[in-house]
Amino acid sequence: MPSPLITEKYGSFFNLARQHQVIFYYVGYFSQHIVAAMADAVKLQLEVSGVAGPTRRKLFSSFIEMAQNIIHYSSDSLTPHTHSDGELRHGSVCIRREDDGSFQLLCANPVEQRIADELRVKLDALRAMTLEEIKQAYRQTLRDETPEGSKGAGIGLLTVARDARAPLDFDFEPADNTGAAPVFYLKATI
Amino acid sequence: MDNLYIAPTPSTPEVDFKFDAHRLSLRGESYPENAAAFYGDIIAKLKDYLGGQQSEKIEVNIALAYFNSSSTKMLFNLIEALNDAVDTGNQVQLNWFHDEEDDTILEFGQELSEDFTSIEFVSHAVRPS
Repeated sequence: MPSPLITEKYGSFFNLARQHQVIFYYVGYFSQHIVAAMADAVKLQLEVSGVAGPTRRKLFSSFIEMAQNIIHYSSDSLTPHTHSDGELRHGSVCIRREDDGSFQLLCANPVEQRIADELRVKLDALRAMTLEEIKQAYRQTLRDETPEGSKGAGIGLLTVARDARAPLDFDFEPADNTGAAPVFYLKATI
Repeated sequence: MDNLYIAPTPSTPEVDFKFDAHRLSLRGESYPENAAAFYGDIIAKLKDYLGGQQSEKIEVNIALAYFNSSSTKMLFNLIEALNDAVDTGNQVQLNWFHDEEDDTILEFGQELSEDFTSIEFVSHAVRPS
């Protein structure tokens, strides 16, 4: 006999996802294998939904950049921070559809305060740029030496910003008194 | 020197550098966890090979359906090495394959051809499968 308690307890969680037209959501540890598997799932999901080719490619690209940023920069890590391969770090990604046919890509992960400060400066600058300026900065960064300690060559955010139809949105959930790291949220509209 | 072959994975391309035939190919998708590590060895072997060539005709085929930002950076370095080889007397033809609907890869190819003018650059639009 089915237990009504399940709907009562967890139904709201699933209903909320439906209301928000969530087409993909993952929370947990990210490894390269998991990213590759998610990439497959996202690709299939977008194909089945009949999304136009160029939009699909932009979404896929931004999704990979966000997922790999979690592997590289989340402060919640199962692998030592000195590792540069085979990493496992915690975060979440979400793709949802808007009523106007656009998509929202969101990701969240805790970051060290130092990284949070750097991200804020970078993203504030990006938000103030026109698309032409973003493309120019992308071209320049491609030709510059890779910054020390950057695994994404410093052009990951520029790549997402280039494909987004509006300036990237971001936010930080401030560190609470338990000493937990601030949580970084990034949102791209594609 | 030995040829270089690396089988494809879901997130790394097939690398088929037939140095003995002077035909080098990259095919597939490229978003390795650490692009600098993946391409570092490949570029080092490529430079070794190029260093030993004189007046050689080298054919390069790049057919990548997707590459992430850090791979983009590494491709740039790889093509720079090929350009340098032309400046030391070789001939390089780069066949750049892109999905006909993919403006991003097309535009990146155009940028490469503007930056590295010593390479004979041929763009090929491919119909989506």
